Amino acid sequence: MAEKIGKHIAIYGKGGIGKSTTTSNISAALAEAGYRVIQIGCDPKSDSTNTLRGNNYLPTVLDSLREGNKIHLDDISVKGFGGVLCIESGGPVPGVGCAGRGINAAVNLLQELNLFEEFKPDYVLYDVLGDVVCGGFAVPIRDGITDRAYVVSSSDFMALYAANNLFKAINKYAPTGGAKLGGVIANSMKPGYHREIVEDFVAKTGTSIAGYVNRSIDVQQSELYGKTVIEAKPNSTQADIYRNLAKYIAENENLVVPNPLGSAELRDWARNWGDRIYDIESGVVGVAEAI
Amino acid sequence: MSNVIKNPRNGCALHGALQTVHEIEGVVPVVHANAGCGVINYLANKSVGNGAGRYSGFAIPGTAAQERHVIFGGASRLREQIKNTIKVVNGDLYVILNSCESAMVGDDVDAMTREIVEQGEPVVDTLIAGFNGGSHYGYEHVLNDILKTIDGVKKNEKNTDSKLINIFGIVPQKDPYWQGNLEEIRRIFTGVGLKVNLFFGVYGGVDDLVNAKNAVASVVFSRWGELPAKLLKERFDVPYITVSSLPASARDERELIEKISEYVDIDQEVRESFLNSEEKYEKNYLSRIRDDIFEYDLGKRTLIVGDEEQVIRYGKLFSEVLGARVVGAVLTDALKKDEEHDRDNTELLESIAENIYITSDAKDIEDIIKRSRAEVVIGSSLEKKIAEKNNVSLLEFSYPIYHRAILNQTTAGVRGQIELLQSYISIVKEKQLEKKEELIRFVQSVKGGESWHELSHGKSVVRNSERTAKLVNYGG
Repeated sequence: MAEKIGKHIAIYGKGGIGKSTTTSNISAALAEAGYRVIQIGCDPKSDSTNTLRGNNYLPTVLDSLREGNKIHLDDISVKGFGGVLCIESGGPVPGVGCAGRGINAAVNLLQELNLFEEFKPDYVLYDVLGDVVCGGFAVPIRDGITDRAYVVSSSDFMALYAANNLFKAINKYAPTGGAKLGGVIANSMKPGYHREIVEDFVAKTGTSIAGYVNRSIDVQQSELYGKTVIEAKPNSTQADIYRNLAKYIAENENLVVPNPLGSAELRDWARNWGDRIYDIESGVVGVAEAI
Repeated sequence: MSNVIKNPRNGCALHGALQTVHEIEGVVPVVHANAGCGVINYLANKSVGNGAGRYSGFAIPGTAAQERHVIFGGASRLREQIKNTIKVVNGDLYVILNSCESAMVGDDVDAMTREIVEQGEPVVDTLIAGFNGGSHYGYEHVLNDILKTIDGVKKNEKNTDSKLINIFGIVPQKDPYWQGNLEEIRRIFTGVGLKVNLFFGVYGGVDDLVNAKNAVASVVFSRWGELPAKLLKERFDVPYITVSSLPASARDERELIEKISEYVDIDQEVRESFLNSEEKYEKNYLSRIRDDIFEYDLGKRTLIVGDEEQVIRYGKLFSEVLGARVVGAVLTDALKKDEEHDRDNTELLESIAENIYITSDAKDIEDIIKRSRAEVVIGSSLEKKIAEKNNVSLLEFSYPIYHRAILNQTTAGVRGQIELLQSYISIVKEKQLEKKEELIRFVQSVKGGESWHELSHGKSVVRNSERTAKLVNYGG
């Protein structure tokens, strides 16, 4: 395999957890810092790069594939904020076909089109949908497509469950050249015990936290403008949070193969936290004591 | 790490289903799969001499699914294909066959079928995917699925015919003699005044599928066929009996008819008259080979490779009539743990063969043949090389058989019995002749040029043959 052009980073996480928002802000921050960035949305919803390109229409790779015509890079990509090259893999309508195979086909096609040789990116970010439910969704972390993955997670049990599934996939594929984990991006952090839950989880799985992203009204407002926080509110604290996160991801070389929790272990861990949270919320103990 | 399997002789469930519906007159298959799936089936069977099916060569209606049908779903492509097939291919029943990729993608094949049925077209489907099992599984399940749904598309009030029997368990193509065997079964049943639903071959057809529920009973002649028989029992109260193998003697025929008599009224006089004539037929030919039985040593070490039913049928016959010693039986069909069928033939098999093996791996089978020190192998064309290499006689009676035309020959019933026996005796005689000739050549080579010289002058011909005969006798 030819030497990879740029750092290829996959960003996973449970649906609705803020992957696309986080990824787009990281892309925007990297572009702002002068890097050449490609963001590839690997989700049939094809809305990963919306805030980078002002919600403008962008035909997806798979839509073009369906038409059966010869595909050119220009047809399926558009430059967004800071010159970030935006691409959406697309996919079938919900409930039909195989989205996993779709991601596979889209990524293969981009390689065939010499995307990376043409654009010469410093960073390529793959924003991958939801949970790693089958082989197709693990494509970006296998076959040497990316060499590092990050997972966006809140302190919700289901988000951590999805993160744990990603760890399982990394654990399986890393020995044969698949990506390793760069860390957990702790998103939607609220005051209280939320940080501690994520910190406990990363400690248990032998991973680390890449950064904390607090819940912020700036994010919501920027999204409604169809922009990233970096573009809409460059001077906000939230923008700096994303810049720091982007810097960490750009520089981090501490990649690990996680030790995912087994099903029973994860359940017990969650139950234990459930009891502690109940005690905190019902005022039996204070946060500090519970933790 | 899995082992390499050499020349497995059975295809996937889709292949089994396809070759099954292919042989039902009036049925048009529509394969919802990659283009290759149907073609591979055609290629696998084209070398087998059963004659061309109703669709020649590659001409099987199919969706030839491509990557975009996997990613975006192939249901609408299937809809298009069913409609086009109905337009250009006349059929009494269209059977939609599913495949691995449509099963994995989750195409709603049922919905497409329902849609076309609502438009008044006779369409049924089966959701079995290639990976569900082997071709025998495909045979059984496609029949099961068709019988499950055909009522909805071919209206037919249940009206039991007190003489009608359903015949299951003779798998088209997988039994190389399926056409002749079906005809022989029909001859036996009609001989005692019954009628049969054969489904396949010259006397079969879609009507048999429609009328299956009207039968008074079903007979299942092998492991494969129990499922549709069970379905008819549960849904339409058609009882069924299972037997281990097709009959291959007058006694087998009598036992079969006696068994079926429990469910159907058979005229005693007609029955006895027929069975007596079968016995007479058998006796006539068996008496004709008695000299061979005494003169030749027919109790050869024999190894049988084939589907369970064939192993039982051939094994019983050769050991009981010719005294063959069945040193091993290789079952090539019942490969995985069988939880679908009630019938268990283990005891019977153990009474027939000294060793039982279950494999369809040609390498395993070659090793078994080598180890067995068998003198005669009953098997397929795939055993030809190893038989030649080990100087073993090979009788090709199981799938696949290349380089021979097999249309209506039978290996079942008393007629099939005679066919099998004469083939066995012939091959033993041929081997004996080969040995003799080899010895003559050896003697001649020992004598060198002299023998040629002498032979050419006719001087020592008598002396040479005398010496050869002595040696043969000594060697024998």
